[in-house]
Amino acid sequence: MPGSANGIQVEGVVLECLRNATFKVELGNGHTVLAHISGKIRKNYIKILPFDRVLVELTPYDLDRGRIIFRYRN
Amino acid sequence: MNSVRTAVLTRPAEWQWHALADDLVVGRGEALRRPDGRIFLSVDAWHDTVFDQLVEAMLAVLPRPLHTVVDEADVDLTAQWRGAGFAVRRREWEHVLPTDPIITGLGAVTPPPGVTMVSADGVRDDLLDELDQAIRDEGCPAMPSDVLTRARGLSRFTAAAHDGRYVGLLRLAPLPRRPRIGLIAVRAGMRRRGIGRALLAEVLTGLHRRGVETASVDVHESNLAALGLFEGVRARRASSNLELELV
Repeated sequence: MPGSANGIQVEGVVLECLRNATFKVELGNGHTVLAHISGKIRKNYIKILPFDRVLVELTPYDLDRGRIIFRYRN
Repeated sequence: MNSVRTAVLTRPAEWQWHALADDLVVGRGEALRRPDGRIFLSVDAWHDTVFDQLVEAMLAVLPRPLHTVVDEADVDLTAQWRGAGFAVRRREWEHVLPTDPIITGLGAVTPPPGVTMVSADGVRDDLLDELDQAIRDEGCPAMPSDVLTRARGLSRFTAAAHDGRYVGLLRLAPLPRRPRIGLIAVRAGMRRRGIGRALLAEVLTGLHRRGVETASVDVHESNLAALGLFEGVRARRASSNLELELV
């Protein structure tokens, strides 16, 4: 998966929508992270649902947390 | 996530801001003008201080009023925008609607006398335009400015016809995972006759026949008629979005 000037970006699949506006996402390597939706996605009213394939940007400070920055067309 | 850091801000485009630290983009801000002319902001940052830096830079150059959208459950983000001076302007509940007529109770619903349903394949653009203008003239409070112009081609419209004119419409965005009802509207003089419920029955039952189990709809919290309509067919509230405004 690409690392870039924008941080670490990894594809994953949404496992679960949690209560506090976060999502449990399983990454391609099997690791599971908690991710928020990016402001850009929310601003465009893009809905995230379980089983959606998404691109997650991981924070370089905590690899267990991330931000969903793109939802692929399944 | 909350350790104190400051970042160097850059502006790769007129309405884009990046926050750089340790050769990484640790925050991004973006402004977007919607078709109705309103400007919406989004900021993503790994640190509160970087978030504040980006917001400050954006507010310094962008004209007011400014808007943003947050999930009400995201308490931290909402607090950050409030801290920047934004206040709640509107709240919309997202509902998930079942389509099964056994659950919705819409199986036996028929339009009121004299009203017929026009399926998405049969709607006429000229009559839809006429209805769109009429509903605007009646001052529908939650009418998106681009209800037809941008949505046409992306959405499917079902209409209610009466005396050769359309008196109600339902706009459906046929999203593959969960179709979304974008608008349901009935002309002022034709309300409280069951036309909205008949439109809903036509569309939800059609989705059910095609194997779609649920649809979604966002409803403004003050729109009691719509809330009553959707909750009456066993819709369940899934989340709420806040639209924040800085004047």
